[in-house]
Amino acid sequence: MKISFPHMGHSYIAFKWLVEHLGHECIVPPEPSKRTLDLGVRYAPEFACIPFKILMGTYLEVAEKGAEVIITSGGMGPCRAGYYWVMHQYILNELGRNVEIIAFEPPLCDLKDFWKKLHRLRVSGGLSVKAFIEVIKTTWEKIKAIDDIEMRSHEVRPYEINRGDTTRALWKALDMLDKANSVKEIEEARREGLEVINKVPRDLSRNPLKVGIIGEIYVVLEPAANHYIQIMLGEMGVQTDRSIYLTSYTRKNTIYNLEGDVFAIARPYIKEAPIGGHGVNSIGETILFAKHGFDGVVQLAPFACIPEIVAKSILPKVSKDYDIPVLTLFIDEQTGKAGVQTRLEAFIDLLEKRRESRKRERLVV
Amino acid sequence: MKTGYLGVDVGSVSTNIVVIDEKGEVLSARYLRTNGKPIETVQGGLFSVGEEIGNKVEIAGVGTTGSARYLISMIVGADIVKNEITAHAVAASAVVEGVQTIIEIGGQDSKIIILRNGIVTDFAMNTVCAAGTGSFLDQQANRLCIPIEEFGDYALKAKNPVRIAGRCAVFAESDMIHKQQLGYNTEDIIAGLCEALVRNYMNNVGKGKEILPPVVFQGGVAANRGLVAAFNKYLGVEVIVPKEHGVMGAIGAALLAREAVKKTGKTNFKGFNIKEINFKTDSFECNGCSNACEVVQFYENGELIARWGDRCGKWEMSTR
Amino acid sequence: MAKIGIPRTLAYFLYFPFWNAFFMELGHEVIVSPPTTKAVLDRGVEEAVNDACIPIKIYHGHVAKLIDKVDFIFSPRLVSLRKHGDFGTETFCPKFLGLPDMIRVSMDRLPPVIDTRIDLKAGKDELLNVCKETAFFLGMTAEKVIFNAYKKALKKQEEYQKILKEGILPPLALDILEGRKKRKEIPRIEPELNIAVVGYPYVIYDPYVNVGLLKFLEQEKVKVYTQDMLSNKELNGQKKYIPKSLFWYFSNRAVYGGLYYMKRKDIDGIIHVTAFACGPDSMVDRLLEIESHRHGKPYLAVMVDEHSGEAGVRTRIEAFVDMLRYRRG
Repeated sequence: MKISFPHMGHSYIAFKWLVEHLGHECIVPPEPSKRTLDLGVRYAPEFACIPFKILMGTYLEVAEKGAEVIITSGGMGPCRAGYYWVMHQYILNELGRNVEIIAFEPPLCDLKDFWKKLHRLRVSGGLSVKAFIEVIKTTWEKIKAIDDIEMRSHEVRPYEINRGDTTRALWKALDMLDKANSVKEIEEARREGLEVINKVPRDLSRNPLKVGIIGEIYVVLEPAANHYIQIMLGEMGVQTDRSIYLTSYTRKNTIYNLEGDVFAIARPYIKEAPIGGHGVNSIGETILFAKHGFDGVVQLAPFACIPEIVAKSILPKVSKDYDIPVLTLFIDEQTGKAGVQTRLEAFIDLLEKRRESRKRERLVV
Repeated sequence: MKTGYLGVDVGSVSTNIVVIDEKGEVLSARYLRTNGKPIETVQGGLFSVGEEIGNKVEIAGVGTTGSARYLISMIVGADIVKNEITAHAVAASAVVEGVQTIIEIGGQDSKIIILRNGIVTDFAMNTVCAAGTGSFLDQQANRLCIPIEEFGDYALKAKNPVRIAGRCAVFAESDMIHKQQLGYNTEDIIAGLCEALVRNYMNNVGKGKEILPPVVFQGGVAANRGLVAAFNKYLGVEVIVPKEHGVMGAIGAALLAREAVKKTGKTNFKGFNIKEINFKTDSFECNGCSNACEVVQFYENGELIARWGDRCGKWEMSTR
Repeated sequence: MAKIGIPRTLAYFLYFPFWNAFFMELGHEVIVSPPTTKAVLDRGVEEAVNDACIPIKIYHGHVAKLIDKVDFIFSPRLVSLRKHGDFGTETFCPKFLGLPDMIRVSMDRLPPVIDTRIDLKAGKDELLNVCKETAFFLGMTAEKVIFNAYKKALKKQEEYQKILKEGILPPLALDILEGRKKRKEIPRIEPELNIAVVGYPYVIYDPYVNVGLLKFLEQEKVKVYTQDMLSNKELNGQKKYIPKSLFWYFSNRAVYGGLYYMKRKDIDGIIHVTAFACGPDSMVDRLLEIESHRHGKPYLAVMVDEHSGEAGVRTRIEAFVDMLRYRRG
């Protein structure tokens, strides 16, 4: 089968490997571009959020390239995203595109359906169960390595002496990972990749501001949807960390999405959890970033995102109580890069002035 | 020769140029329409400022701000490039000591800036909606065939401002037409429009912000006395409109330049006479990788002086 | 005895009889906010977070109208009324889930908010626990009294549901239930057209929000059918016709109602009324549109927003009704 999937940051490298090693042909989704968005906006409902529109555009683009099957995730609600594949399929059918969407619903909800879909992918690719499991395992290692490398790049970038060095090193490292074909090779590529990034000429005398990025998963994970905000901030000399990585829940760091804990932390502000998407997480993670000494938080969300609107209405109180500035950026198809940049620059000015005045206060004391 | 600092604020609608002296007093100011040609507008404006004060003032520092701040910085030779939010805050702080709230309404955008103890603690900008910006009034003035300059005076004559419904320019217009057809007088309608704009601004940009006095109201629209009255009424405090309210962004840029050159000790200023210089922009698509970035190239008299737009930075170069 | 305020929106149109009876039985006074007006909406726009949908803004407006007039505001956290959907995880829209927290943060001088969590997934009996919790909030612990009030409230709700099934729409059905109007007084008209109007109760039954749609259809001698006249069985039977049920209670009801009426020959057309910036409706509307198209049933989506004048909406509905008449010949 010719298989494709949604584009989300650098994860396509691992998913491409997965599809190919399952014995299928991979139609790699292009990075979302102006054209992707235009296509999506044209065929998606007007009030669907930007992830729906970008995915719609991506699906139409991969359909053009001959994809027969698109693999994506489902969901149990109450965020709209879990219903997107249904509407995407409806719309693709209406447009006469011969593409089938296979959505993996959370296995906890419907284990049988989950196995059935996995089985279908395995058998049609001609793999034994053992080989299949091996491929899945290797893919997972690849995803983890990609996240490791990306995380490191965000730590290094604010120190880089020549703009772009880190980004180029990141691409080089990802390229190495792309070529790795076994758990062992992935481990080697990971190590070498990290080294490439670590070798970027740095000015360690800098004391970068630290900004946490929270919000809705798609616009947080897909740089093309958020105007490459982490790179933009890094090049302004700001260290960023974000609450969501695909491999978040395997990581032993409190900033990352330990659902239960985050909900408990958010509880003084919102008694109900979850409310869909990352709504409650955004509240809890703001508190976590504040407690971990971050200077500020940027909330990224699609325009009209239901859970993040709930979060936005509550965040001013959190921001005040924990004394951490929060900048909310709602993104839609009309959001221009210049607007994002102006707001970020002003936000960084604000954070810097805060830090200076605190230093002064400390000196006075 | 006096020492002066040049500030240039280039937005999508207007271009403002000021020169201030060491104390922050404005020596010369220009308020121009950008008309989609930022380079020519700045070239012309700068030339005219030079004719006025060029032989009396020596420019010791230059700052640019506004949406075209990076492009213009290369044309004028800026010492500092700053976003317009910070620039406005710096200017208002210099003019009104202890300012805690800044309301800034321009042609296409509007912002609110909250300061405490001289430090920006919060800000917001309008998103896509024009209902809280100057263009909202421009449109309606057009429709009523009343010059926008006289709008404020009409509003002040109103006895019973009409309530204009609609939080969107388009809908407000249809409601206004409706009210006209019902026979309300023009003064009351105009005052109603001013109040509608203030409401829209407060519900959109000002939502959830703690507005404490002193409140400074700046931006081109602050000239409208009807709006000032509407803000006073809504907020229950007298808003302060600085004398140079229309060029505060440029003043902020100039003040920032004054700070910047204190550290560097020199300026990159290219002089007032840049009218003769030929600036040109072109672009190409890089095929280095699948990103296919559009790389923009900027020329001064045929010589390539800057490149940007590439994500990896391999084409990037700047004058410094 | 306390004064308990209930906003005249959201769940009011379907579930007011239950809570009204319950609080009255406990000896409290129920005060309902005035009907939605422009002023209520304006107030809501001032209070609510900018990006919220119209219904949430209107809710804030109604709550604001109750401040200073009541001792408590009844704003239960509507989580779920049943185990339904492909995974049994049906809830209300996320904005409903966070609503009590939202009003607390956005609004000043709020009296205590009774934010009892209503989640009946475990079974209908849970409702009794919800009632107990609500009563405890008001300082009432006598189990027997609570149980009796609960029973009375259930009965009242059943009565109300029966009136709805007769085809009488909520504002009027409430009047009949409360004895303010008699069935006999309802003028009988010979319907010239049958139109199904689907959408959320707080959109289609609120005379301000629906910009006079129902009244207009009545004048045009149209018999209106809504999802709330159907039994749960009739509604839930539609689940099998879509690939996956939606996650939200009111959305599923609207979609099932739409699918049910699409298949009925005597229904001339479907009108879906949706509110500006409603997240779930971006799915619901397109789904209904595509399904109507497949069923060959005329479909009209009416979006109401902060600005919608009666005139604009009416023109479209008039044209739709004219078209249906023409089709009938």
